Amino acid sequence: MQTDDLISLMTASHQKVDTGGLRRATWLAALAALAVTAGLVLVTLGARHDFASAWMTLPVLAKAALGASVAVVALGVFQSSLRPGLKRGHLLWLAAVPLALVVGWALATLAQAPAGQWSALVFGRYWLACLIAVPLYAICPFVALLVLARRGAPVDGRLTGFSAGIASAGLATVAYSLHCPDDAVPFLASWYPLAMAAVAGFGALVFPRFVRW
Amino acid sequence: MRRNKRFPSRHPEKRIALSLAKLETQLRPVFLAALAGDAAAYRLFLDAISARLRGYLRQMLARAGRSEASEAEDVLQETLLALHLSRHTYDPASPVTAWAHAIARYKLVDHLRRSGRHAGNLPIDDEAYQLAAPESGGSDARLDLERAMQALPERTRRLIDRVKLQGASVAEAANAAGMTETAAKVAIHRGLQAMAKFLSKRGKRPA
Repeated sequence: MQTDDLISLMTASHQKVDTGGLRRATWLAALAALAVTAGLVLVTLGARHDFASAWMTLPVLAKAALGASVAVVALGVFQSSLRPGLKRGHLLWLAAVPLALVVGWALATLAQAPAGQWSALVFGRYWLACLIAVPLYAICPFVALLVLARRGAPVDGRLTGFSAGIASAGLATVAYSLHCPDDAVPFLASWYPLAMAAVAGFGALVFPRFVRW
Repeated sequence: MRRNKRFPSRHPEKRIALSLAKLETQLRPVFLAALAGDAAAYRLFLDAISARLRGYLRQMLARAGRSEASEAEDVLQETLLALHLSRHTYDPASPVTAWAHAIARYKLVDHLRRSGRHAGNLPIDDEAYQLAAPESGGSDARLDLERAMQALPERTRRLIDRVKLQGASVAEAANAAGMTETAAKVAIHRGLQAMAKFLSKRGKRPA
C-alpha cells in the first residue's frame, strides 16, 4: 500500500477530535479512585476513633494536604506524559515542595523535643501499618491510571509509571489519613514519603511493559 | 550543536531550522482546523508532515546504517498510523511538529529494537529533526501494511479497497456496502486500529 493511499484512508475516516478528553478522564479517574479507596479504608479499617474531633486538627489536615498536593502535581505530569512531544517531566520536582515543607517541619519538631522522644515521634505506634497500607490502598488508583495510560501515547513509559505511582500513593495517603492514628509530624515526614517512593518505583518498573503502543 | 544554537547565523542550518519554525506556524492552524473536523485540512496536514517525517526517518535510518528507502517508508506508514490513532493526545497549546516528531522517534526506536538493532547511536537531541529536510517523493513500502490488511475482516477490507483503490468517497463506498456513512467511517477506523496493532505486534521477525 502506498503512503498516499494510507493518507486517503485516514482522511476518509477522519472525524472531529476531542483533545481535552485525556485531561478530563485523568481527573475523573483520580477522583473516582479516591472515593473508592476512601470507602475501602472506611470499610476495612474504619475511621480513627476520634475522627469527629481530630479531623480539623493540623496533623490530620497536613497528612491529607501532603497526599493531595503531591497527587495533583503527579497527575498533571502523568497526564502530559501521555502526550508525545510535551516535556513536562521536570515539573515533578514541584512535588518535592510539600515533601520538603513536611520534612522541615518534622526536623523543627525533633529539634524542640528531647532526644529521648525522637524514636517515639518518628516511629509512632503503627509505622509498619502505614508503610503497608499506603501501597495497598494505592492499588485502585494505580490500576485506574494504568488503564488510562493505555489510551494515551506515552513515549516515556518510566516517567508515566513514576508519576502514576506518586499520584496513586498521594491519593492513598489522603484516604488513609481517615484512619491513621499517628499524628506526629516526624512520623508523617518519614513513612508516607517512603511509601510514595516505593509505589513510584514500582510504577516506573511495571508501566513500560504495559503501555507500549 | 550548542554552538550552532548560540550563533545560528554562521551556519547554513539556520535556514532549515527556521523552516521548521515556519512549518510550525503554517501547520498549527491547519491541524487545529483538522481537529475541529475539517477533512481537507487534515489531508493537507498529513501531506506536509509526511514529507517532513520521511526526510527525518531516512536520515535517521541512514545514520543507523540502513539506507533502503522502502524501510523508511515502512516506518513512516507506521508513524502515520500511530499519529492518526493518537490525534487525541495532541495538546493544542503545544507545537504540532514536536508532537509529530516525538511519535516518529518513538516508532523509529521501536522499529530498530524490533529488527534487532539497538538505538543507542540515535541522536536524542531536538536538533536532529530540525536538520532533516522534507522529502516529498514517497517510495514503495515493503509488504508490511499489505500483510496487515490481510488480517482484516473481509467486509472491512473490501470497504478499504473501494476507498483506497477506486478513489470512492466514504459515502459511495458505504452505499455500495449497504451501510451508513458513519458506520463505514467507524469500520475504516477500526481497520486502521487493527493494522496498527498488527504492525506493532510483529515481534522480532526480521522486517
